[in-house]
Amino acid sequence: MAANFWTSSHSKQLLDQEEVDTVQPADKDKGITLDDLRVVKLHMTNHIARLAQQVKVRQRVIATAVAYFRRVYTRRSMTEYDPCLVAPTCLYLASKAEESTVPAKLLVFWLKKLYADDRYKFEIRDILEMEMKLLEALDYYLVIYHPYRALTPLLQDAGMTDLTVPALSLVNDTYKMDLILIYPPYMISLACIYIASVLKDKDTNSWFEELRVDMNVIKNISMEILDFYDNYKLPTEERVNAAMNKLAVKT
Amino acid sequence: MADTSLDQLPDKRVAARYIKGVTLGEGTYGIVFKALDTKTNQTVAIKKIRLGKHKEGVNVTALREIKLLKELKDPNVIELIDAYPHKGNLHLVFEFMESDLEAVIRDRNIVLSPADIKSYMQMTLKGLAYCHRKWVLHRDMKPNNLLIGSDGQLKLADFGLARIFGSPDRKFTHQVFARWYRAPELLFGTKHYGAGVDVWAAGCIFAELLLRRPFLQGSSDIDQLGKIFAAFGTPKPSQWPDMIYLPDYVEYQFVLAPPLRSLFPMASDDALDLISRMFTYDPKNRITVQQALEHRYFSSVPAPTNPVLLPRPAAKGEAVNNIPRPPDLISQEGPVVLSPPRKARRVMLFPGSEGNAYEDGTLLKHSAVTSGNTGGSTTQSKYMPMSVDVDALFGSKPPPRPTISSTDRSHLKRKLDMELEFQDSPK
Repeated sequence: MAANFWTSSHSKQLLDQEEVDTVQPADKDKGITLDDLRVVKLHMTNHIARLAQQVKVRQRVIATAVAYFRRVYTRRSMTEYDPCLVAPTCLYLASKAEESTVPAKLLVFWLKKLYADDRYKFEIRDILEMEMKLLEALDYYLVIYHPYRALTPLLQDAGMTDLTVPALSLVNDTYKMDLILIYPPYMISLACIYIASVLKDKDTNSWFEELRVDMNVIKNISMEILDFYDNYKLPTEERVNAAMNKLAVKT
Repeated sequence: MADTSLDQLPDKRVAARYIKGVTLGEGTYGIVFKALDTKTNQTVAIKKIRLGKHKEGVNVTALREIKLLKELKDPNVIELIDAYPHKGNLHLVFEFMESDLEAVIRDRNIVLSPADIKSYMQMTLKGLAYCHRKWVLHRDMKPNNLLIGSDGQLKLADFGLARIFGSPDRKFTHQVFARWYRAPELLFGTKHYGAGVDVWAAGCIFAELLLRRPFLQGSSDIDQLGKIFAAFGTPKPSQWPDMIYLPDYVEYQFVLAPPLRSLFPMASDDALDLISRMFTYDPKNRITVQQALEHRYFSSVPAPTNPVLLPRPAAKGEAVNNIPRPPDLISQEGPVVLSPPRKARRVMLFPGSEGNAYEDGTLLKHSAVTSGNTGGSTTQSKYMPMSVDVDALFGSKPPPRPTISSTDRSHLKRKLDMELEFQDSPK
């Protein structure tokens, strides 16, 4: 997307880390911790990606869906908005907003095929009902900017197009975090280029110095990404279920 | 059970903010009614969006409009005030607009001075320039999508066909705009186009303001190109080098452009100059909206009328529609299509056969080759509801104003959404 980020709704809705890391009161009452929230978000990010692979949509659609998903839970509780239903609905809404509609029935079909657990299975009507609630939760703001767009021109400018593949993989992985809600997308692209260049032993200092960006922010983002890799392990089924079961408890 | 009653609470509250008034009309995807916003005491127009038989959720056209209008805030773009679900339907709240430019143009009691026309054009182009700065193509510019508020301000509305452009190599459908406002590159089936398509349509609106009737009233896509070429001459390759490579290119008999002055006898020299730049054939050389706003037409006398002082049409719903339209000024036929209409390039005419201006046939050979490469376009022709030339088949009634009907829209919607991404997905 080529539109101007600075005048966009996305830019106005950027949040601080603390705002993103707030557990909604209704969830807190059920004993949900920040770690639970993170585990569920990570698990559902993978869930969205897995579903997207089956219905074959562009990476952009997945990225938008994950951004919707993460944004919703900065405002709404998981108690009220079942993550298992919000995740596929985010993909459904993102596919429409990114002009590559996936029929709801296709999503329903794959949900049934991929998962044995009834928790993940829904009917078309559930998705359509949630779509309306999701639109409201997102306050009808649907345009999301992504780091992908800036990546290619930046790498071309730096003369490092050979870093495209590692940088793209890094960008994909940033959606396992909440970076898209916190930083301007081009900053995320720069951080990914920075890490990729360090990994591949390329000297990019002079190029970064010429950019008029706050290198401290870039380094902070890079550190966050590296920390994430350090601590990353795929949440086990038991860990996810433990968090989900807390939500399922009737109060 | 407790959950559902909670969910309905916000519905009632938001719906209670608005007091429903009379129905204003049937929009492209639902009913539009007038309402009073009790919060601001403002009159608003609410579009109730029909959910297509509860099969595919929120209408994609409506979603596109919401998505873009939430990002667009400009005095010359309609404001989306609010959106809310009520009884399972999505409602969009817009500022209430008294009239539209089509009503102004067709109201024969209204005299439009050159300064009035300049004012309407300036507001149209300002709104469009704002959209283009935000990388949004409107793609459905026509007088009845230009709404006029009680303060005389003109605002672009109906963004149901609009989309974000600027990504290189993205293919778009060419089935956009009501036919009379479609740029020649669209009529020749291009899939890679830009802001120029909106400029062409704005040019048609300019001409319509001057003539007080739709300028180029084609009855089919082929006829539309004929009408365009009759007005501005058949484009020469030197004028528009890329033309012959366009997917649906057909060759037209060469006609010379009549003097522009003869088409617009009342227009000033500056106006004529701007018109000729907005109707430039090659989209690469066509004036941009921003350049058009900086054109001397807008800085020379007379100054554009203050919008508040612009003449108003009779209020909506009065019998403006029954007023007969002035007769066409150009009644002569457009140039003849040399190759048979539609997919003519597929037919290998014997070089030099009747009606073929090309002696050596090289051009035809070339097009035959390209048609082989783009074989996919054959299937497309059956998908083109608007290019069916009904009028040509059943006598020549005066053409009704073509709009994009809801069936076209739903078809279009599918095209817009699935063209690229769906080609390899599981059935």
